[in-house]
Amino acid sequence: MRSHIVRLIREFFWDQNFLEVETPHILKTAGQEPNIQAMHITIHNEHHEPFYGYLHTYPEYAMKKLLAAGFGNNIFSICKSFRDHESFGGTHNPEFTMIEWYRLDHDFFALMDDMERMFQYIAQGLKIKNFDVPSSLEKLWKRTHMRDLWREYVGIELDNYLDVSSMYELCVEKGFRPNKEESYEELFYRIFLDAIEPNLGVDEPQIIYYYPALMASLSKRSTKEPGYAERFESYIDGVEIANGFTELTDAQEQLERLKEDKNERARLGLDDYEIDKDFVEAVEHLPACTGNSMGIDRIVQAFAGCKNINDVLALPASEIFQS
Amino acid sequence: MGDTTDIRKGAVIRHNNELYVVTSCQFVNPGKGQAFTKTKLKNISSGKGTEMTYKSGENVDVVEVQRQNIQFLYKNGEFFSFMNTDSYETLDVSSDIIGDDTKYLKEGIMVIASLYEGNVVAIQLPKKIVYKVITAPPAVKGDTAGGNVTKEVELDNGLKIHVPIFIKEGEEILVNTETGEYGGRSAE
Repeated sequence: MRSHIVRLIREFFWDQNFLEVETPHILKTAGQEPNIQAMHITIHNEHHEPFYGYLHTYPEYAMKKLLAAGFGNNIFSICKSFRDHESFGGTHNPEFTMIEWYRLDHDFFALMDDMERMFQYIAQGLKIKNFDVPSSLEKLWKRTHMRDLWREYVGIELDNYLDVSSMYELCVEKGFRPNKEESYEELFYRIFLDAIEPNLGVDEPQIIYYYPALMASLSKRSTKEPGYAERFESYIDGVEIANGFTELTDAQEQLERLKEDKNERARLGLDDYEIDKDFVEAVEHLPACTGNSMGIDRIVQAFAGCKNINDVLALPASEIFQS
Repeated sequence: MGDTTDIRKGAVIRHNNELYVVTSCQFVNPGKGQAFTKTKLKNISSGKGTEMTYKSGENVDVVEVQRQNIQFLYKNGEFFSFMNTDSYETLDVSSDIIGDDTKYLKEGIMVIASLYEGNVVAIQLPKKIVYKVITAPPAVKGDTAGGNVTKEVELDNGLKIHVPIFIKEGEEILVNTETGEYGGRSAE
């Protein structure tokens, strides 16, 4: 089933004239997200001189460099990504397969359509090969604005809690004991993980869209929804399966956000990664575009009905290191 | 006091002045969002189950438990009797504490017990246990044609599992206690 799914994903994008690209897995510096840890590596040239780098945690920076160089095309990449300090099994494996794609001149709503159509395409292709497919994966996905989730499960207007101090007060009011220096994102997730997350994507796939601007990551701030960023995540069976953005094309803002992330990493006592200046320059020349990434192992899990990622891997890390 | 990296199956956590044993836990990192650990907990005094989600790095009051090798002896009504192999003392553990793992128990196997104030609050099975196959239907010609390459066999403790069709009665096989699946022929 796995090989059919990978083939169907490729076909889906090829049929729409997307160009498949490959990006380096070995990088000099790693992505700045405070929640993602990269694996250190040392490589040597023929003079045995050492060079220190990291395995990439996602192909995003490199793919944006390609777009900025003027590929002039929609692109996708299917690659292994590597993340350290995550569980061996369950919903994670230290190396996993990712599909990431970029569509020019569109916003994040186009990605949601792509995702739904891709799942329908996979479902049809699998049925031709006589696989049983969960019917929920053939339908359109439920789409929910982040603000509506907070209304439904927390009973508040998120518009009034889009800055650090108001979110801090809300956490205290809800009985949490946050530290004074916690970031907006940490405070947000205290409530989100407790009250909202367990309800997501339970019976059918669900897309959550418009995140508070303080959690924009690499996405563009929305002009239609002030205070929010054009970012979405989607969930199947309670597991996060995709993260998409209308991409930020303002290099200055990108640099500021990378600096904030770098400071946040320092505050949390994590490894210090140099800011990738070429990436910041790429953002300056980045055409208007929207990009999404999904874990292919998790797509296979969804179609096969497997709860544990190890069940869809030939040799999971737990088998290699812990048996 | 510990943090979320100390949460594992069998750990004992103090929460709102009550003690809970972790019956299952799952680490989740959305990458571009906060990482967290989802847990299922069981209240040690009431036996009631609950679920908690901890943000990664959050302080968790993990209580020290004593780890002790114990050997399974026999089932005794609602209880399962084990022996502390250091003191030769017998310990009765209720089926509630062992949960689904009761099906893997067989006479003589060693497990690791977590003891709190002298009581067993959790047990941890070996990752693989050797069983003898006591009944196995013979492989029938044509079984492989429909993609049906496994068959169900019964093991010496009554457990039934699917194994490859070449396994015969009387053979010793390994069972993975985390997945409940066939884990190879025993090399012993």
